[in-house]
Amino acid sequence: MTDLAVEALGLTKYFETYKAVDQVSLQVPAGSIYGVLGPNGAGKTTSLRMTLGIIDPDAGSSRLLGGHKPQSVRHRIGYLPEERGLYPGMKAREAIAFMGALRGLDWSEGRRRATTFMTELGLERVIDSKIRKMSKGMAQMIQLIGSIVHAPDLIVLDEPFSGLDPVNQERLEMLVKRERDRGATVLFSTHVMAHAERLCDRLAIIARSQRRFEGTVDDARALLPMQVRYTPRQGSDTAAVAALLPAGAEPKGEAWHFAIEDQDVEPLLARITASGLGVTGLSISRPALHDAFVHIVRQVDAGFTADASEDAIEEASA
Amino acid sequence: MTPFLKNMFVVARRDFLAIVATPTFLLFLLAPLFMIGMGLAGGMGASQLADSARGAGRIVVVADATDAEALRDADTRLRAAMPREPATLVVRIATPAADPVAITKEKGSDTYAVMSGPLDAPRIVEREPESASGRYLSLLAGEVIRARAAGDLPAVAPRFESLSRGGNSIALQQSLGFGAVFAIFLLTLLLAGQTVSSLAEEKGNKVIEILAAAVPLESVFLGKLLGFLGVAILFIAFWIVMAFAGGFVAAAQMDPAMLDATGRAGKAAAALSSMPATGWGFFLGIGFVYFILSFLLLGAVFLGVGAQAATVREIQMLSLPITIFQVGMFSLSAAAASAPGSGLATFAQIFPFSSPLAMAARAATDEAKSVHLLALGWQALWVALVIFISVRLFRAGVLSGRSDWRFWRRKKGA
Repeated sequence: MTDLAVEALGLTKYFETYKAVDQVSLQVPAGSIYGVLGPNGAGKTTSLRMTLGIIDPDAGSSRLLGGHKPQSVRHRIGYLPEERGLYPGMKAREAIAFMGALRGLDWSEGRRRATTFMTELGLERVIDSKIRKMSKGMAQMIQLIGSIVHAPDLIVLDEPFSGLDPVNQERLEMLVKRERDRGATVLFSTHVMAHAERLCDRLAIIARSQRRFEGTVDDARALLPMQVRYTPRQGSDTAAVAALLPAGAEPKGEAWHFAIEDQDVEPLLARITASGLGVTGLSISRPALHDAFVHIVRQVDAGFTADASEDAIEEASA
Repeated sequence: MTPFLKNMFVVARRDFLAIVATPTFLLFLLAPLFMIGMGLAGGMGASQLADSARGAGRIVVVADATDAEALRDADTRLRAAMPREPATLVVRIATPAADPVAITKEKGSDTYAVMSGPLDAPRIVEREPESASGRYLSLLAGEVIRARAAGDLPAVAPRFESLSRGGNSIALQQSLGFGAVFAIFLLTLLLAGQTVSSLAEEKGNKVIEILAAAVPLESVFLGKLLGFLGVAILFIAFWIVMAFAGGFVAAAQMDPAMLDATGRAGKAAAALSSMPATGWGFFLGIGFVYFILSFLLLGAVFLGVGAQAATVREIQMLSLPITIFQVGMFSLSAAAASAPGSGLATFAQIFPFSSPLAMAARAATDEAKSVHLLALGWQALWVALVIFISVRLFRAGVLSGRSDWRFWRRKKGA
């Protein structure tokens, strides 16, 4: 059985009467990169904060790094909150050393590591600059370094890519992979699918306060049928092509677009070969994580709307 | 050092440096100069008024040349024995033109009474009927007549014995107690109130979530209190050094004989010569420790209340009730200091927020020392309790992101 770096079970949180998080569970294997995806307001941040013990859940529990309570392993965790926060009057290196010191790192060692990290990330010219004089993106990179300067076993990053330019996004991806290779577990939230697709070993999708999916990126993509783009030989009879392809195939220019299940791919190829309609172009591909995400969220929204309508009908009839 | 203490000192260090390493701190440090300046200006004005009033008042004797010297001698003897010093005596040699009523109306000075005529039946004209000045002039006339009748007598050679080492004045000890209460109250009022806004920075720049994730909130709160306490102690140390330096400079400039005379004659010297019941060393030491406890106790309350405030305006609004609360604790402790051993004093010593002040006063009048250990433990317990409650309220409300949540207007959750 794989060791779990995070084991959060049934986390639930109310804000007044609003159920912000509903029975969300997260099992993050140690040494992996795990993404928590979801639309804005889905409950990602609240779930992460409960997981880390920053706020108390109304129900559920969280154990980290081998079954410990979050409070007892704080020094082994690095955390980048969604709302970035640094003391504006502090110099960059001091800010990083301060964050390290909070996790038990010696001040001088913190300063030394801060210099190393900042140099690696091309930030050496702002080592002794005050935070208030930095751009938002630079300050964010400083805070990110501060959250990993003490070489934590678990790194939790809440929306780490937001506000970063493409160059810094690439640096951050590199940093995340390097930390994973070092042996750390990285748990991050995002609603940008490209990063999740490139980085995540596993992921969870949260929508409308509940976890709606858990698995690998491929598992998520497999939720949708394969996407096919077929272009028959020029001058082929349209009716014959339509009869050959599954229902729902749509012509767009000379090509036909449709979706098929995995098991239908080989029979389709056999039918095309046998039909004599020829092949000018053919591509069969899995949908992207983005499509799977949108599909899941839309399904949830549709169900939520339907539930709400049923509730409204029930209330009206009552 | 435990991780908790280590975290606490990391937060305290950050806060201390963030306050001290700014130009604003210099203004804060030198602020008492303004107070001293204003006090000196006001004091000099009042002193000038008093001086001019003293210089203008007089009593006048119109006497023969033979009586004039005897009246001056009698004035010298009697004046020192009077509980309230009479107005300056002016002796004028009698002339036919000397009119006592006209003398009372002379410009440039207040004349309280004028005596003229033979000493055994003097005429005394006074501004107010049965005035002390009139009675004093009558006494002078009687003293001269009695001295002449008695002739030459041997001089009295009294032997004075001072009780300044053998017994302490209860009133002076109570004054010392009140002084301790006032000093601790003033310093706490000036310095502890700042803690009310100390979490505003972290809430404003969102650092609070980093702190909450990294260390126990109790160590954040305690660290902040310690940081501010460090600033307060630096402030006090600075002014103690300044006071000593000023004292040395003044002493070096002054004539040693005059200094000695001033030292013996001053009321301050009299108070200093009276020993607090627990001794000066213990009294000053425990007074400083009680200041720390008073700072921590009230600072913890203000920190906890201020942590609940969502805006700067709310923090400003909280300043008034906080000041009133402090004044209330001062009034209670001052009343306790003036009635040592009473039920009120016992209550003030037990009530946690007045306890440091009232116990400091007790150290001036009661020689028991072990009770202070108990009091310090009791006060420290309350510091911990206030921090514990403040953190719980902070976690439940502010940190959970419930912007509408305040403990003073709590709504029921789902």
